[in-house]
Amino acid sequence: MSEGYIPKTLEEALEIRKSAKVIPIAGGSDLMVQHRREGGVAPGFEEPLLLLNEIEDLKTLRTDGDKIVIGAGVSLNELVNNNHLPYIVRETARQMAAVTTRNIATIGGNICNASPAADTLPFLYATNATLVLQSADKKREIPVEEFITGPGQSCLQSDELLIEVRIPKEHFDVEYYRKVGTRKAMALSKISFAGLAAFSNGKLSDIRIAIGAVAPKVVRDKALEGLLKGLSKEEIKNKIPEIRARYEKLIQPIDDARSTKEYRKTVSLDLIKDFIEERVLKKMSH
Amino acid sequence: MGKTISSSIPRLDADKKISGQAEYIADMVMDDFMHARTIRSEKAHAKIKAIHLPELPEGYTVIDKKDIPGNNRMQTVVSDHPLFAEAEVHYIGQPILLITGPSKEKTVELAEKVQLDYKELPAVTDMEEALSENEVHVNYQYAKGNPDAVFDNASKTITDEYRTGQPEHLYLETNGVIATCHSGRITIYGSIQCPFFVKNAVVEATGFAPEQIQVIQTVTGGAFGGKEEYPSLLAAQAAVASLKTGKPVRLILDRKEDIEATTKRHPSLLRYKASLNNKNEITGIDIDITFDGGAYATISPVVLQRAMFTSTGVYGFPNIRVTGRVVKTNKAPSGAFRGFGAPQVLFGIEQFMNRLAAEAGVSSLAFKRQYFLKKGDTTSTGGKMWADIKIREIVDKITGMSNYKQTKTNSGKNRGIGISLFLHGCGFTGKGEVDISGEVILKKRGNKVSILTSNVEMGQGASTTLIKIVAHSLSIPEKDVDFVKQDTDAVPDSGPTVASRTAMIIGGLVKKACNKLLDKWEQEEAEVKEVYKHPGYVTWDNDTFQGDAYPVYSWGANVAEVEADPVTCEVEVKKLWGVYDIGVALDEDIIRGQMQGGMVQGLGFAYLEKLTSRKGKFNQLNLTDYTIPTSVDVPEIECDFVENPYEFGPYGAKCAGELPLSGVAPALAEAVEQALGMEVRKIPMTPEYLKARKNED
Amino acid sequence: MKIEFTLNHSKVTVDRPPEHRLIDVLRDEFGLKSLKEGCGEGECGACSVLLDGKTVASCILPLGRVHGHAIETIEGIRNSESFTAIQEAFKKAGAVQCGFCTPGMVISTEALIRQNTNPTKVDIRNAISGNLCRCTGYHMILEGIRLAVQKREER
Repeated sequence: MSEGYIPKTLEEALEIRKSAKVIPIAGGSDLMVQHRREGGVAPGFEEPLLLLNEIEDLKTLRTDGDKIVIGAGVSLNELVNNNHLPYIVRETARQMAAVTTRNIATIGGNICNASPAADTLPFLYATNATLVLQSADKKREIPVEEFITGPGQSCLQSDELLIEVRIPKEHFDVEYYRKVGTRKAMALSKISFAGLAAFSNGKLSDIRIAIGAVAPKVVRDKALEGLLKGLSKEEIKNKIPEIRARYEKLIQPIDDARSTKEYRKTVSLDLIKDFIEERVLKKMSH
Repeated sequence: MGKTISSSIPRLDADKKISGQAEYIADMVMDDFMHARTIRSEKAHAKIKAIHLPELPEGYTVIDKKDIPGNNRMQTVVSDHPLFAEAEVHYIGQPILLITGPSKEKTVELAEKVQLDYKELPAVTDMEEALSENEVHVNYQYAKGNPDAVFDNASKTITDEYRTGQPEHLYLETNGVIATCHSGRITIYGSIQCPFFVKNAVVEATGFAPEQIQVIQTVTGGAFGGKEEYPSLLAAQAAVASLKTGKPVRLILDRKEDIEATTKRHPSLLRYKASLNNKNEITGIDIDITFDGGAYATISPVVLQRAMFTSTGVYGFPNIRVTGRVVKTNKAPSGAFRGFGAPQVLFGIEQFMNRLAAEAGVSSLAFKRQYFLKKGDTTSTGGKMWADIKIREIVDKITGMSNYKQTKTNSGKNRGIGISLFLHGCGFTGKGEVDISGEVILKKRGNKVSILTSNVEMGQGASTTLIKIVAHSLSIPEKDVDFVKQDTDAVPDSGPTVASRTAMIIGGLVKKACNKLLDKWEQEEAEVKEVYKHPGYVTWDNDTFQGDAYPVYSWGANVAEVEADPVTCEVEVKKLWGVYDIGVALDEDIIRGQMQGGMVQGLGFAYLEKLTSRKGKFNQLNLTDYTIPTSVDVPEIECDFVENPYEFGPYGAKCAGELPLSGVAPALAEAVEQALGMEVRKIPMTPEYLKARKNED
Repeated sequence: MKIEFTLNHSKVTVDRPPEHRLIDVLRDEFGLKSLKEGCGEGECGACSVLLDGKTVASCILPLGRVHGHAIETIEGIRNSESFTAIQEAFKKAGAVQCGFCTPGMVISTEALIRQNTNPTKVDIRNAISGNLCRCTGYHMILEGIRLAVQKREER
């Protein structure tokens, strides 16, 4: 059994992925912790590692027509520091972990780890981002909500790698990210809230709400958002109780070491109301 | 040297620490280490039915209760904690045996394969359940005046109750020791606050004579009380292992087992009752303290005593009853932690006084002022406040600095401000110092002087402080003064590095020794010894808890200003102020560092550090989940001092280290109550607690 | 597996599985004891090293990740002017108590100074957001970093 692989090109990596059972790893900040053993010894991985950090193709940060393309191997700090990225991407990354982790943790790693509390997921859901997955034989592009299949689970095939994230370039009048964490840095999210809105002719033309860490998967309901589109300020205000009641059914948090289900439920519903009233309605012209 | 001793100098241990050359226990290298890994109980209460060990290769050994030549007990105030579990286990994390071997990797691998069969027994893991079942390690009571009479005649009786949580010390360097044996002696190296405690514990466990045991403290990466008694257990285990294997044994805890199994602060349930007359004046107060001591009593009796003697705070009341008990639960034993029982009761009394102020329709500060102690007052234990008390000056200073009064009446939406007053009794409680009769030795060789004491440098600045005392007293440069390494073969027993006693008590001995040395200064070589004597005015009866619990006190006030988010109930601490009377600062930077560090630990205790458990299993066992403040969490902090030299302290110094932790939680609670419009009865005041309470109210 | 990297400006080769923790390789194989293990999960920063000039936690960094890259520890920067500025600044500010977090703080300070010649107060706080301290309450460390930046600018 090989001890591990450090391929220099994507082709090389995909060939290895096709022919061997390996664990793809980029920065390692999730995987090294998940596989750690007590007592100050090396972690225990059941398969050899496929280290991805040398592959330039995974580190792209570019525009491709009407899409922003972020390579899976781009580190969180690179996202923070890139002023061409939307505010919501930068702000989310800025509040993740701390500088030491952000220097090596990658957006691809965060997505593939698929934690219900993964902080990159809310903005990816809210922006209708797609993911490009590639194997030696084929390439496919799927919406992020199709990729995540459950807590810690994705539909990444054993011969595939996540190559890049593609975010549609759209204008929003409101870009809002709120992380409710255990403290102000180096914190896991109790609630991870992304909200976007756009106005047209005094009406709400688009609204997107995506909430992480409060259910097995990110909560986003396009039908609920649709209820608000095209409405005036007054109409939106009147819809809030109905919206709240319907989100309540979707939000299914748990008790864990960090927080309680009551807190997560109550606060995320309050944050939805707060987003609509304080961020969206206040910014809409009369 | 600076103009006065208070002028800061660069810390004398800083260079090595900054350049990464300071040698902590895990940095020590020896050729033939046996790495040790502890097998621990997975059950809160059970009989051990069977231990299934993997096949051990050559060189790998099991160490358990059968290998203890002496007494299978951790020697401390109450020596009830077995070094290795016997027939039963009483808490999750309790050590059962060690596996040792030459390869760390192999030892860990073997340890992972050990399986235990248990027969589970009923476990009491909740403090209130233990209270209702009267599972008690120890209880005490004392009174002043005639509390029964005033409660019978009260116009009004107000009661309330508060709870405090279970913070963990979270020293950055975990607990660890190395034990070696050679030529009929055992040498222990370790991250240790109290070398002679450890020595005594190893004597107890091995049956060796004291001369055969040597304990050497290595550079210690934080302690805060968490390395006061626990290293005794580790050292005894490692010593026994070293005897059995004939090799040096390295026992360094990883973070998870350190959080899980070592000591933490006693959680508390505090119940208060006050009798008020028809002018809303307090005629009597009844304080009932319950501490959760975990499975073994160990040091709990002393923690409870300090809590009880501190429970009336900075106030004098004519009639008092204080009842306290430590209950027994199937959890890891609670132990010493900066403040040693005081932070819990000071939170309680400040909250209760605020409650009484509200009852009286008076602002909290105006109400509290009426009861401030002054020089000459009788203490709650019938002793006397012998020294000048500057609490009024402290309050004036801090209210000025923080604009407390104006902000209190006009704080703004979702904002609040709170003030707390607190104190700390200096040195050991009661007759502790007399029992220890600590000794210090100074040795002169030419123009150089060495300080020999068992009190250690553990980050708090002891080495620089004591060196400065000698330098100033003898008018020699600091570089000519040596703080001898704490090796029990080389230094006398000055007592443990606890109770904020190092600056005042040990510093006092050092100063007196300097005076003696001055008389011998013309000699090329000289040696002087100084042994502790209580100041003559102090009287104490340990059977009745009457007299002067402490020879003197240090005092403080904190103000906290907060903004709370009404949706998430997250609290943002805008600023913290602290004004302190610690006598005289022996080094301003060192003292400021202690105050700021203590305040930030106090913040953790107040709102950020949550350690919960379910059926005796802790839920936050790593640093991801047990959250201490980061650089981004700390608020702006402003500290100042009121000088109040103490006649019996070196250069007027009193105790400083523990005081600053106690005041933050009550100041924060008052501020949060104003910001969110609700009562805070529990700390840590997490957003979950605040949101749930807000919805109730 | 042969992993080649630059360690404190010298090329080195280590033959170990790539999942081995960098902290163990540096401390045990190379005897570099300045970096400490405080938690083993990348949360406390006591094990911080510079990876291509950026501060990272070596206890969760797989050895394979550094193949072809540059690692620096305090042992490697100890003789530099930059380090002397940090050392003097930390001493002046009273930034050291127990010292266990100090090497990590120095590394993160060095990383900050290399990347940002004019950091704001917020930048400084963020630069050590991955380094926990239990003794100081951070303020004297933040002041030490501010002074170190100032000293660097003066040179």
